[in-house]
Amino acid sequence: MKMVILPKESLPEFIGHLCPFGELHVPVKVSEKSYAFGRVNDLSDIELNYTRTILPLKKYVFKPVDVMFNFCAATGYETTVEETDAKRVIFGVHPCDIHGLKILDLVFGGKYVDGYYSARRNKAAIVGMDCIPDEFCFCRSTGTDFVDTGFDLFLSDIGASYLVRVGTSLGDDMIRAADSLLREVQEQDRQAYKRRSTQRRESFQTEVQLQELPEIMDLEYDSEVWRRVGDKCLSCGTCSMVCPTCYCYAVFDELDLAGGSGRRQRRWDSCLFKDYALVAGGHNFRPDRDSRIKNRYFHKQRGFVSQHGRPSCVGCGRCKVYCLVGIDIVEVIKELRSEIRV
Amino acid sequence: MAKPKVGTYGLTGCAGDQLVIINCEDELLEIAGALDIKSFSMAASGGDEDCPLDIVFVEGTVVQPEDERVLRWLRERAELLVAIGTCAVWGGLPAMKNEMRPEELRMSVYGPEGNTFQCVSPRPLSSFVKVDLAIPGCPVEKEQLLQGVASLLHGDLPQLPTYAVCTDCKMAEYPCLLVEQGWLCLGPITEAGCKARCPGYGRPCIGCRGPVQDANIASEVQVLQEKGFTWLDIQNRLWTFAAPAESLKIDFLKEGANA
Repeated sequence: MKMVILPKESLPEFIGHLCPFGELHVPVKVSEKSYAFGRVNDLSDIELNYTRTILPLKKYVFKPVDVMFNFCAATGYETTVEETDAKRVIFGVHPCDIHGLKILDLVFGGKYVDGYYSARRNKAAIVGMDCIPDEFCFCRSTGTDFVDTGFDLFLSDIGASYLVRVGTSLGDDMIRAADSLLREVQEQDRQAYKRRSTQRRESFQTEVQLQELPEIMDLEYDSEVWRRVGDKCLSCGTCSMVCPTCYCYAVFDELDLAGGSGRRQRRWDSCLFKDYALVAGGHNFRPDRDSRIKNRYFHKQRGFVSQHGRPSCVGCGRCKVYCLVGIDIVEVIKELRSEIRV
Repeated sequence: MAKPKVGTYGLTGCAGDQLVIINCEDELLEIAGALDIKSFSMAASGGDEDCPLDIVFVEGTVVQPEDERVLRWLRERAELLVAIGTCAVWGGLPAMKNEMRPEELRMSVYGPEGNTFQCVSPRPLSSFVKVDLAIPGCPVEKEQLLQGVASLLHGDLPQLPTYAVCTDCKMAEYPCLLVEQGWLCLGPITEAGCKARCPGYGRPCIGCRGPVQDANIASEVQVLQEKGFTWLDIQNRLWTFAAPAESLKIDFLKEGANA
């Protein structure tokens, strides 16, 4: 893999060189404790010292609410994939969120390609950046604390500089555009990168064993844990909205008053909503909160493993940070494994 | 197809929901073109108060015996009855003191002079008559109202949100005011549809759209108590807009609070 060194003082200028490759989106501070990816007028508003944004990158490629097509009784329908959607460069993306996108790629870009997703995905350039975990991060346990693919460029903080890995030909074009700011990797950089790697590994405060978890979940299908968690759960949908890999959506029509025309839309859905598994005739497969939150865990940690060979959780910690009643995925898994009792 | 005959009426309330219809300025001509408006006293006097109606929109709460009489009369006149606004759907602000006897409450507000009118414990329209469609909100959201009308014109009922304000709040990527600020926010138990307007302005949800289906009130109460709110703070907030709601009944709440 091609690697180069970018001195930290050249970062603003380097970001300037990325702008011709698309609309720049960067992490910004939106409140005392929260961050979000967005546009900035001033490069000094970029907040690289963030751990996680409220929403992951899915908001760019799988919009919270999206028009799928317009319909009209007289003229038929026309799809509305935004061909004109701007190219984007999303800068400062952490490894867990890159893995989140890779998991969405499996779902939306697999056997049945989702055109709305892929149209935007193909126009998103990803410039990743490494990070130091906080107490909520458990991406080391999910194997998503580093990336080998899924980025155009990836910057690792090695002290006075960044080590820049080039992941794609587009990434190569980017560093060529910023050639004057970059230099070759030298001995001290190699040592610094290895020290950074150790430092990141040793910074993890949270660990959870995901090996054999699918079997343990099957064995603990009727566990008391689900009742306890179900009693607490507000079914508010927050965890699904902020999850990098929750991809369910509900489809609905918005009608025009004049009649005969409207828009078919889709909107993020959650398996925690009471009517998620409600079917025609009024039967609800998961009428209780216990069964709904169990379903969410089963899909992430068991069903997805059967289908794709890995859990769909990327260990970003968002569901724990933003859960209003403090439901902690790591604690739930440890309880299922009988490693702790609450 | 003949245009459906509609009427818009207000029981005891602030008329804010009817005002939302009038405020649909860009759509007013379309509305007038699609509906045969027989009576809408807030927009024009001289309506037809006798004809049968296809759809009647009713805002406000039953607070006096006269409200109940009007409501039953409207129900008999109309094929479909649409409750608009939180007062009509949940009882709204008039019902916030429903734990007091109506006479006692009247005395505390109007003194002995209040004796000139009768009052009952305010209750939502659905506790008196069949309601075909309930659109909550204080006031109703213009988009939901228009979608409601559009669906009815297509012979269907609209799909109103069945999820909580938190969902809209996170879709809009607003910082969580309960988690981050420790504020008394009712987002987790309140029906969405407002696009989390208040949290978007940095203010907590006060529950003006009433409880979402399957709201976990016990867990919400518990987390608010853990944040340091007193039983009275929580009760006052919960009962501001939807006190008659079954999920907010006091016994259940006390059970949750003691859990």
